[in-house]
Amino acid sequence: MHQALLILGFGLVTAAILSLSAVAFTLEYAVTNVANLAHGEILTVGAYAALIVHARTGNAVAAALAAALAGGLIALAMHTAVVDRFIRRGTPTLVIFIATLGLSFVIQNVLSIIFGAANVAYTIPSGAPRQLGPFLWTTLDIEIIASALAITAGLYLIISHTKFGKALRAVSQNRDLARVSGINADIVASATWFLAGLVAGYAGFILAESVGTFNPSFGFTFFLITLTAAVAGGLGRAFSTMVGAVIVGIALEFFGGYVSAGYNLAFAFGILALVILIRPRGLFVNARRSIFE
Amino acid sequence: MTQYLVTVLTEGAIFGIMALGLNVIWGWSGDFDLAYYGYVALGAYMTLALTIGRHPAPERYILGLQLPYLVAIVLAVASAMLLALVIGLIALRHLRGIYFSIVTLGGVYVLYAMVGQFVPLFNGYQGLAGLINPMGDALGIDFNSYQYFFLGFAIGVLLLVYLFLSRVSSSRFGLALRSLREDERAAAAFGRDIYRLKLKAYLLGAGIGGLAGALFAAYLTAFNTSAWTPLETVVLYAAILVGGRGNIRGVVLGVLIVFVLIEESTRFLPDIPGHPNVVLQLRPIVIGAALILFLRFRPQGLLPERRYVDPIQPKTAQGPAT
Repeated sequence: MHQALLILGFGLVTAAILSLSAVAFTLEYAVTNVANLAHGEILTVGAYAALIVHARTGNAVAAALAAALAGGLIALAMHTAVVDRFIRRGTPTLVIFIATLGLSFVIQNVLSIIFGAANVAYTIPSGAPRQLGPFLWTTLDIEIIASALAITAGLYLIISHTKFGKALRAVSQNRDLARVSGINADIVASATWFLAGLVAGYAGFILAESVGTFNPSFGFTFFLITLTAAVAGGLGRAFSTMVGAVIVGIALEFFGGYVSAGYNLAFAFGILALVILIRPRGLFVNARRSIFE
Repeated sequence: MTQYLVTVLTEGAIFGIMALGLNVIWGWSGDFDLAYYGYVALGAYMTLALTIGRHPAPERYILGLQLPYLVAIVLAVASAMLLALVIGLIALRHLRGIYFSIVTLGGVYVLYAMVGQFVPLFNGYQGLAGLINPMGDALGIDFNSYQYFFLGFAIGVLLLVYLFLSRVSSSRFGLALRSLREDERAAAAFGRDIYRLKLKAYLLGAGIGGLAGALFAAYLTAFNTSAWTPLETVVLYAAILVGGRGNIRGVVLGVLIVFVLIEESTRFLPDIPGHPNVVLQLRPIVIGAALILFLRFRPQGLLPERRYVDPIQPKTAQGPAT
């Protein structure tokens, strides 16, 4: 029992990081209908930005802000320079999906020119493990979980209680209809990508902190797990995506703890394949339609 | 210089076979398959496991036979097709568009993790090595002229694949595949068994990928996880897209441009002082950018696929109404 609680504690840390990454991915999908294969690179860019700023200023808060800002800017650039140009021409979503794969390839290689392809260490003192309720967490773990909860609450307020949130939901349900109702869908989509980028950049920062090292393909590896969480929750649905992320995060740590951590990725994809085949619209949607697009 | 030219051409021929195989899946059948490089890799691993025999203790891998290279090629192709059957049976049944791609991406990452982590399979991250000059001894070819022989062999296989696919391209099967790509529902309404056709195309493409892998293994003499990543497929997609998706002549042209021009000619550009590898590292960026730009501005590629028009159809359509 004790070990199970210990693993659950780790699982909650993973779930916190994962839910931020996954909710950002799903927001990008919601307003543009594009599954962004370059989403992982937003996290990577955030991690490098945090590393640089941390080395300059020695301040973790400044590093976190830099990560978020860098993530937001790169996401906005992806949207304006690539995704939106395709959408304006009415390109099929699969084609845009392929373009984002090209984008991911380009960004990874640009990063490895600038920073080198090797792993860089990013260690900050994580504090001694402390007993908190039934869980054993370091100060860093607690900060990660608390900040993820705060960001989730913030997103909830933005999405369900502001005018922008209303517009976002309208665009995600039907872009054309939103447009004829007087919503500037292009600005809403850009702003949503920027917001998602802020969250994903920050997720990159806490992921780098908790892993301790990273390289240019770091975000892409994590993206594969992000995708699992987002699909499990239901693509384009922000809050069920977060629930999906919590389930996947905890399941991954239990698998890693009891079976083998080396096959984590394989296990994540086992979940993904099962979800897609059995409940393609997500775990929490009661529909058995197959995907035919 | 000759030495170098031989290397480029051999690699180019192998790369061409890979691209032709992927073109069956993406160009004709219309499925954006991200698992494709897994079939190439499996073909390469199987070829090695079937030909290099047993190595001493720290190395562990399955089979460890010493079959003739040609037999190993056939078995490598078969095992790639078997894996494609497993993935295809799952992924092609109901999934299309991005969901198909996501599942295939998952499939290839599972394979990648398995190959790396599960040591008894293909010796883990160390990989397999020791396939030196296959067929050389049997044919009595000496070490120095072997590379010319292998270049000829690779080009020969490329030609065979090309001729075979140009027949498939205009066959009923090839046309049926394109009809699925254009409009699946309409094709189903005309009595096409979509699942079967797509699965067949998937197996055909994966088999060609496995064949390319078998040649790649002989060319490299070794194969391990650092020799491939699933993202390698991006380069193949770029080649197909630049040349002309669906048109096998275009695919070969795309391989020439992306591989020979971008990958190889950049080798001769002068280095920027202080940054020794920048030109080398710029290649994937150029390839990725080409992929995006072509998707945006010329999605049909440089040599667009010929549209098949039924010569009788327009007359009937315009004929006098009775």
